[in-house]
Amino acid sequence: MGTFIQLVVDGLATGSIYAALALAIVLVNQATGLINFAQGGMAVLSAYIAYVFVQLGLPLLLAIIISVVLSFLFGALVERFLLRRFERGDPDTAVVVTIGLLTLVTGISAVLWGYNNLAFPSLFPLTSVEILGAVVSVRSLATAVTIVVIMVVLQLLFLRTKLGLALRAVADNPASAAFSGLPVGRLLMVGWGLAATLGAIAGVLVAPQLTLTPGMLDTALVYALAAVILGGLSSPIGCVVAASAIGVLENLVAVYIPLIGHDLKIAVPFALIFVILIIRPQGLFGRKVVVRV
Amino acid sequence: MSTAATVRRPRVRMILTAVLAVALIAAPLALPAFANQTLIRIGVYAVAVLGLNIVMGYTGQVNLGQIFFVGLGAYVTAYGVNHGWNILLVFFAACAVAGLVGLLVALAAARLGGLAIAMVTIALPIVGVPLAKRLSDFTGGSQGTSARFTDAPDWSGLDNDQWQFYIVLVVSAAAFLLARSLVRGKYGRAFAAVRENEAVAASMGISPYRTKVLAFTIASIFGGASGFLYLAAVQYTSPETLSFGHSISLLAAMVIGGAGSIAGSLLGGAYYVFVPQLTNAIDPNLTTVSQGAILLAVLFLLPGGLVSLPRVVRRLTRRSATRRSTARPAAETSQQTPPAQHPVPDAAPEGPEQTERQDGP
Repeated sequence: MGTFIQLVVDGLATGSIYAALALAIVLVNQATGLINFAQGGMAVLSAYIAYVFVQLGLPLLLAIIISVVLSFLFGALVERFLLRRFERGDPDTAVVVTIGLLTLVTGISAVLWGYNNLAFPSLFPLTSVEILGAVVSVRSLATAVTIVVIMVVLQLLFLRTKLGLALRAVADNPASAAFSGLPVGRLLMVGWGLAATLGAIAGVLVAPQLTLTPGMLDTALVYALAAVILGGLSSPIGCVVAASAIGVLENLVAVYIPLIGHDLKIAVPFALIFVILIIRPQGLFGRKVVVRV
Repeated sequence: MSTAATVRRPRVRMILTAVLAVALIAAPLALPAFANQTLIRIGVYAVAVLGLNIVMGYTGQVNLGQIFFVGLGAYVTAYGVNHGWNILLVFFAACAVAGLVGLLVALAAARLGGLAIAMVTIALPIVGVPLAKRLSDFTGGSQGTSARFTDAPDWSGLDNDQWQFYIVLVVSAAAFLLARSLVRGKYGRAFAAVRENEAVAASMGISPYRTKVLAFTIASIFGGASGFLYLAAVQYTSPETLSFGHSISLLAAMVIGGAGSIAGSLLGGAYYVFVPQLTNAIDPNLTTVSQGAILLAVLFLLPGGLVSLPRVVRRLTRRSATRRSTARPAAETSQQTPPAQHPVPDAAPEGPEQTERQDGP
């Protein structure tokens, strides 16, 4: 029982990282109708920036805040100068653009910091607490809680502020939004900036655990995409639920089904997707409705 | 300037093709081994890029997992060779297994509309690497597996690299001819219809779902054939062969060479081999960043890929030419004016052939 609870809590902690990336992907998709495959790569770059400031002697929290602010600017600039040209065109071309961006950003990280794993300091203490007989690290708990708090803040931003209303209006219908006087271009930049911010937070939270490498979030990106497919592109809450479920399920499967084990656990969400799609193609949308209720 | 128009004449075209064929057959005998090996690898990856082009360039479905099918083909080939199968059987097994797996993946992935295919296929290499490590009885685990079956037979009097060159040449030439016929025929038109507008395609009796599955399966078969050639050339494969980075590189090569172009696939194969060779020679860390930069630059400046470069250059030079002769604005709309044709030594005879102005976009 102790192992089980521990696996579930650890799964929720990793799931929350996938959830953060998945939310960033949904945010961009809602605003521009694109899938940003570079979300993970940009998050890694943010983590490296925080790392540089830590190396310069700044306190960790301050370094993270600087990195988050810079990531916001970076995301906004990427939208303005890279994606703007492709947003109204063929979505497949735009996807290739984000893949090019992923390669470029990963390459920049590799040129500047190399491929060696770098140790990133943890924001939270490495001690563990005992919950219901399970030894759970404070880091896992705190990571999960942080992501939940951010999610709530994001939800409030979208539902309770004027900026959130404007963002949703632009996502819903850019032409009408422009006619009612909203600065569509600037709002799209804000949307990308917010997504980059989310990615940056996910990056610095997961970096101590995975150690910093240019390809650190490639796998997490794949999980996040799986969560997005399962949860639905238009439903942030669905994505978070799906991401947490994937995190927990893969942990349980890795331990309790030796045939799959830790090396193949990444196949779990995709096996799930394939089974759902082949047996019941409408299953996805059925799930989405259930999640929304 | 009118060389492009000359190339389009059937007889010139036939002669050019014959010259090219003779050059390709003679090349390995004259070139040093290293050049041969480079050309062999271009052929190997050109076939993989060609497959990717069918599903992505022609049908418009982003596929991030093509390298998985290359790796699968390579593993099947290694397994078959090491178990003493007939080499033709090995080749067909490599294509068939890759095609079958591709069909299964496509049956599920194509149910999701739009970008979801990209999101599902990105998992193939990411799942493929640990899977290849796990199935060590079949794949040799992390160490990989090797198979030698392309040493030149004694009767041929050839070196190994020359013999391999001919194997790759035969298979990739067949692949290119097949792909060319495919995209120009009934299925090619169906692919284009699905790429442009699925609703319109459906209204014309073309099932978008079936067309996507078909394109994806064909792409996987080409991937399997490319895997066979990979093993013929390199004689060794490991989980590293099907890594995520290689899959991205393959996609970059396809776009840079020219999406929706048969000749572009060959250029893509050349890009895939040459540019990493070049950047590795300068600094291995530059490989990824240069690839990203080149890919983005091509998307911005040359959306048709390298294959569209001559056309773009022609358009630009023509534009500057018309700017110089602003006194005659009629030249803008009418056919090529006689003075512009005079300098050409082998002026085209009168006939229904296209002029440059007509065949421009």
